[in-house]
Parts: sequence; C-alpha cells; structure tokens
Amino acid sequence: MAIIEVNGLSKSYRVYQKPEGLLASFRGLFHRTYRDVRAVREIDLEVRQGEFVAFLGPNGAGKTTTLKLLSGVINPTSGSARVMGHVPWRRENAYRRRFALVMGQKNQLWWDLPAIESFRLHQRIYGVEPAAFHRNCDELTELLDIRPLLHQPVRELSLGERMKMELTAALLHAPDVLFLDEPTIGLDVVAQHQIQTFFRHYQEQRRITILLTSHYMKDVAALCRRVVIIARGRIQYDGSLAGIIDRFSGSKIVTFQFAEGQSAGDLSAYGEIVELREPKARLRIARNEVPRALAKVLASHAVADVSVEDPPLEEVIADLFTQVNGRPAEPDRGDAVGEPMDEVGGVVP
Amino acid sequence: MIARVRVWWTILRIALEDRLVYRGDFALGTLMRFLPIITQIFLWSAIFDALDRGPAGPSRIVGYQFEDMVAYYLLTMLARAFSSMPGLASGIALQIRNGEIKRFLVQPVDLLGFLLLTRVAHKLAYYSVAVGPFALVFFLCRGYFVHGWPDASTIGLFALSLVLSFLLGFFLEACIGLMGFWLLEVGSLLFIYMLLSFFLSGHMFPLDMLPHPWRELVDLLPLKYLAYFPAAVFLDKLGSDEIARGVVVQCVWLAVFIVASRIAFRRGIRRYSAFGG
Amino acid sequence: MESPRRYLGILGAFARNSLMRDMAFRADFLIECASSVSWALMNVGLYAIIFRHTRMIGHDTGWGRDEFFVFMATTWFVHAIVQALFMPNAEEFSELIRTGNLDFALLKPIDTQFLVSFRKVDWSALSNLLSAGLLLAISLRGLARREPNPLTFDPVTLFLYPFYVMCGVAILYSVMIALASTSIWLGRNQTLYDFWFYITNFSRYPMEIYQRGWGRPLGAFFTFIVPVLVVVNVPARLLAQPLVPRASWEWPLAGFTVVATTGSLAASRWVFQRALASYRSASS
Repeated sequence: MAIIEVNGLSKSYRVYQKPEGLLASFRGLFHRTYRDVRAVREIDLEVRQGEFVAFLGPNGAGKTTTLKLLSGVINPTSGSARVMGHVPWRRENAYRRRFALVMGQKNQLWWDLPAIESFRLHQRIYGVEPAAFHRNCDELTELLDIRPLLHQPVRELSLGERMKMELTAALLHAPDVLFLDEPTIGLDVVAQHQIQTFFRHYQEQRRITILLTSHYMKDVAALCRRVVIIARGRIQYDGSLAGIIDRFSGSKIVTFQFAEGQSAGDLSAYGEIVELREPKARLRIARNEVPRALAKVLASHAVADVSVEDPPLEEVIADLFTQVNGRPAEPDRGDAVGEPMDEVGGVVP
Repeated sequence: MIARVRVWWTILRIALEDRLVYRGDFALGTLMRFLPIITQIFLWSAIFDALDRGPAGPSRIVGYQFEDMVAYYLLTMLARAFSSMPGLASGIALQIRNGEIKRFLVQPVDLLGFLLLTRVAHKLAYYSVAVGPFALVFFLCRGYFVHGWPDASTIGLFALSLVLSFLLGFFLEACIGLMGFWLLEVGSLLFIYMLLSFFLSGHMFPLDMLPHPWRELVDLLPLKYLAYFPAAVFLDKLGSDEIARGVVVQCVWLAVFIVASRIAFRRGIRRYSAFGG
Repeated sequence: MESPRRYLGILGAFARNSLMRDMAFRADFLIECASSVSWALMNVGLYAIIFRHTRMIGHDTGWGRDEFFVFMATTWFVHAIVQALFMPNAEEFSELIRTGNLDFALLKPIDTQFLVSFRKVDWSALSNLLSAGLLLAISLRGLARREPNPLTFDPVTLFLYPFYVMCGVAILYSVMIALASTSIWLGRNQTLYDFWFYITNFSRYPMEIYQRGWGRPLGAFFTFIVPVLVVVNVPARLLAQPLVPRASWEWPLAGFTVVATTGSLAASRWVFQRALASYRSASS
C-alpha cells in the first residue's frame, strides 16, 4: 500500500538577483530583476508503508525542497502529493499529528531551558496522553542514552546530544511517517553511529516509513535499501544501492597480479592506470572494453591472478554528482534553493 | 596616501551597497520617521489652543509660539538625523564580545576610523533617500517657519552645529560601546544614555521649558548639542554670545570624547590581549 | 479552534516556560523591569512639564492633567499587555522567517497564528502594569476631587473599562501581527518595531487633537481604517469622563470599537494566512 504518492510535483522560486556595484544597488531600489529557479521538477514517487528511503543528490538538487513539500511547509507550483491520504500543504491537524520532520541544521528546542520542558510543550501541542508521553519519552531517551541530560539547559549540551534531544522531541508523538533532513550533519563519528543504530532499531520495531536525506554514504548504506537520486530537481534514479553502480558506473576496476619476473610494461593502452606496484597493477577500464582488454593482457603477459570489481560506491556517486553539476548550465539551475553550495565531495565521509 | 584614500573609499562603498540592498526596509523606515511629527503638530496645536490668548499677539510658551514649536520639532528631527547613531554602541560591544574586534589588531585599519567611515556611509545612504521626504516635509511645513530663512551666518552656524552634533554623537556612543571591554553588557548603560538624552537633549520639547535647577544643569551637559542646540541656533533663540559659548563647550565635549574613546580603545585592547580574548 | 481548553493549556505552558527562562536570567529581568518603569516615569515628567505651561490639551476638551494621566495610565495598560504577550513574538516571527525556523511552527498540529503569536511571554513588560495602576490610582483620586464635576464610579464602567482595554489590546495585536507578516514579503524587517511604534503613536493622545483642518481625515483614517485611535481613547474616556455630561458621540464610538476589534482580528488573520501562503522557507 502506497503511503506516499507524488505525481508531477514541481516547485519554482522567484529569486531576486542582487545587482553588483553601487549604481546598480541604487537602481535596485526602484527596479528589480528576478529569475525563476526550478527547485523540483515533475517528480513522481511512490513509497510503501515501512520503507526506509534515502534521497541522495548534490547540494541544491531539490532533496530538502521535496521534504518540505511533503511536510507541507511550502506550497508546490504544480503537481500533487498525498501522504497517508492527506494533501500535505493543506496542513490539516490530523496530518500534522502523524508525521515529523527533523532538520539537522535547525533546532526547535528552547535554548535556555532543559529539554524536558520543550518535551512537555510538545506533549501539549500534539495532545499526547500522559501515559503515552512518559512511555515514549522513557523509551527514546533510553535508546539514545540521554536520560541524565534531560534536566540540563539545551545550550549546555553538545551538538550530538542536542540532535538526540531534537529527535526525541520529534518522535514523542509516535509519528507514522518521518522525514529526516541531514540528521547527522556536523556530528562526530560516534554520535553518527549511535543515531544510525537508533534509526535502524526504531524503524525495525515500529515499521514506520522514513525518508532520509544525507550526505553521509554510511548513513545511507547502513539504513536504506532503496535510494532515490535527485539532481537538478529531477529523479535520476530510483532503486537499490547496488543498482546505482550498474546504472551509472561505466567502468570496472581490473587488478592483474603478474607472474614472477614478468614486467607489466605499458598498460595504458587498455585503460587508465589506477595503481602500479609490480607485480600488481590496477586499471580502470570502460565496461564494454573489459573482455577485449582482458583477452589482450592475458595473451601478452603471464598473469598469476586477475580480479574484476566494481568501483567503490562513493566514487561512483561523487562522479555522478560532478557530472550532473558539471554539465553546461541551464538557465534554471536548482541550486539557489537547497543548502549553501559547498564541495560535492562532501558525499564521501 | 592615495592607497589610504582608496581603502577608505572601498569601505565607504561597501557600506553603502550593504545599506541599499534591503529596499523594503529602507523605504518604509524613511517614510515612517515622519509620522511622529504629525502627532506632535496636532498635540502642540491642541496645547496652544487651550492657552489663554494674550492681549498682544499669539499665545506663547517660554517665548515659543505654536509655529515655533513645530519648527523646533522639525529641526530637532533634522539634528537627530545627524546625531543619532543607531546600533553603534551595541555593535561595538557585540564585536568585543564575539572577538571580531581582533580583526582590527591584525588589519592595518583603525577601528574608530573604520567605524566613523562606515557611519558616514550609512548616514549618506540614509540622506540620499531621506533628502526627498525631508525636503517635502519641510516644504509642506514652511508655514511654521514664521520668520522665514535666517541670515547666511546663522545658516553657517547651524550647519556647523549639525556637523559637530554628528561627531559628538558618534564619539559619545563609541565610548559607550567601548565600555564593553569592561562590562559584560553595555545595554543598560546605553539605556541610561537613551533615557537621559530622551529628556535632556531636547528632542521632546524645547529645553527652555525645564524648571529651575534642571535648566542650568542641562547647559553643562553634552546632550543638548544633539538636538536642542542646532534647532535653537536656526530659530534664533540664542544670542550671539550664547551661540559662541555653546560652540566652544560643544568642541570641548567633542575633544573629551575623542580622547576618551582613544584611551578606552587602547586600554581595552591591552586588557583584551592580556586575557587572551 | 477545536478545543479552547487545549489552547489554554498550551498558552499556560508557553507562559510557564517563558517565566522559567526569564528567571534563569534574573539580572536581565530586573534591568528590563527597571527600564520600563523609568520610561514611564520620564513620560510622566514630560507631561508634568507641559502641564506647568497649560491647563488642558485642546480647547474645552476636558483633558486636564489628571484626566490626561488617566489616559496615559490606560495607554500603559494596553501597551504593557501587548508588549508582554505579543511584542517578543512579532519580533521573533520575522526572525523565524529569516532563519527558516517557521518550518517548525508550520509542522505543529495547532493553529499556526496562535503558535506564532503566543510562543513567548515577556514577563518584565508586565511591570508597567504596576506603574499604570499607581498612576491611575493617583489621578483618579485627583479626579474624585475635581471641581465642579467630581468623578463618580458606576459598576458598568468598572466592567466596561477592562473590556475595552482588552479590545484595545486585540486591535494593537492585529496591527502588529499584520505588520510582522509583511516580513515574509519584504525580507529583513528591522524597522518593524519603529513602524509599529509610529502607527501606535497616534493612539497615545486624545482623539480631540485631530479635530481641526487635515486632522479630520487623518483622525477618520486612524479610527475607521486602522482603528488605533479607539484603542486608548474609548476606555480612558469611559473612566476619566473629561466631558460632563457625556457627549452624544461617546456611546456610538464605544459600540463601533467592538465592531472595529472584530474587524481588525479578522483582517489580520487574512493577512497572516496570505503571508503564510507565500512563505518559501529559507534553506538550512
């Protein structure tokens, strides 16, 4: 049963173009130029109950915008979406009680008060029964190991502890659908791992539906079977993590172990040499060239061992993002909307 | 020297651009500044209405007839456009607190000079938009200036007092901001300053209305030069000896605050480095 | 609103959290209180000086010193409540828009305008209620000895006064939230407070001062279009009774105030909803 259904969903923004120079700034007082930025374009998506889906994509690809559309924070330009039968941007209370959005870069807890006070406020706002509140609160703080910190002002907590508190706050009302936008951003490896473990455990137990965007491949690899790649506001891929390589990687990594005394000679004719440490050589060879190259090398060299592997996933995805971003720019690139532009290489943890 | 001028020009230009980006804010802010005048006109009109009319001429309060009162109020608005420094003291204090002030230890730019230039730029940007509304309001209210334009020398003195009031306001608030080296929070100090200047700079009412000990006290304070003095000069409420004395006292105060701000900055920085910031 | 009790409970939680926060920074809290009270004193000082030079504001309007101080106390009541309940929220609303944290408010299963309007309470602003009470008591005592028409109290007035103070609060709130909503369109809105101050400035004086020349259309504008003039004038007039006997237009004005309150609330809600529809959520 589809719990999230998205059809032809699009979102464009008008962005004010700040003119350069003093004179232009003056002119900007009276006349402004805008451009349209199409953050999300014609997205179709279907998610079943209990799925844990990762959104991958370069910065500004439209991942966060999609999550915001699905949580009803912004209205779409066109298209439709239903989550648990509700149209998100109608913002019905019945819908808002059943999902949660966690944003790694924003916090909603009262900064100067202990987290428990914010939790109590949430209890009131979401109308959670006291018994359920205590049960959920105990369970979550136990799982996340933050029970002793509940009575400390939030401003005194570390980033990781604060994120765990944010998560607890978001889950107190036991949502059926959870949107996670970069939940582990900026956290150290230990906190990242703890939060991953928590998500896996929590999702397995409750069978809730989770949509996650993350820059950390480890998050994705640890948690999600299904991966949706978004770039330039469009879905470029929807399938398993392993499938990405088949689809996007045009090459294989071939490793030759040459026999004793055999010189590798010049291998560059067969492909790009990744590593050469005799008697071992690693080459990147275009996929359709692999059989021919293998045959030739085997014919001309004495080879002790050979292996053919896929390139590492991080590398494929980083390449993919670079390709997508590196294409000659269309006028309506979607990057003004998402996160601030930083290195696409951020994909690799 | 040329390099220096170029640095100053760049600072000035960047500050100007920064100001002009937020168009909505800017236009609204400028327009709104004139609203209080309207209520003041009506308020004073009503106050004078209730006065018993004297046998000769219009009714007066401490020598001001109704029109003078409005003209006075308009002129103090103009004076305060020069002498008020929104965000200066709190900005300096903030820079001290978050350590941004260290920048001025590294870069070959003088903090007070830099701030003064930025402030000049802010003011210029403000005037470039505000000159329209100001001119319009003064034109519409020209009837309140019953004595017409004062003579050239008075206008010269008025201009001088405005420039001095800008400098005085700047260095006075800079001193308050620099107290941030010693105080955790300059907010309350700034508040006391605002409270006093609200009452004693004369921008709410002509200081001549103050009763006995206050009137004499105010003459000794620097606050009256921020609003009352330029307006009184323009309206010819002061004798030439009073004006001369006023300008001298104002210059003395200005010198005091320039020196004080220099000392405060130097000592503050030393203290800052000593504590490791 | 589905359940008033639930909303009341949430309001209580907001107030409680704010108080806890304020108490965590007690020194700041005391300074804030002291500063509001000092402003109030300064204002009294200003008008004490003005009333040294005149008997009344406006010819035959009845707004003498004591009457005007009743007016002023009423201004403080209204403004103290508005500042305590709504000012911090309106300021924060602009900030929520700028940082994109409005997202969180939109996610909550309660009315967004309610959440945005009541989230924080500035308890220190309530200190002005005390100054207002004191000033009111002193000036009413003066009015009780007024010649030739000493002030008398009737129970209806005692009921209507707080009612109209609350109407005034509601009108000012509407203006404020409508103004704050504009920051969704206008971006950074530092002048919000100034703007609000300038508009509400019109409410701080007896409406008789707008009775001549181009004051009339202005007075009409701030009575019927942006009804800030009735905010203080109606309750203060009820209590201080500057005109004895009452003028014929006083009761119709009081009736109109109820209409104006309802209208303002409805209009501000409309503006708020329109603004939300244009919200685009700042990134990260």
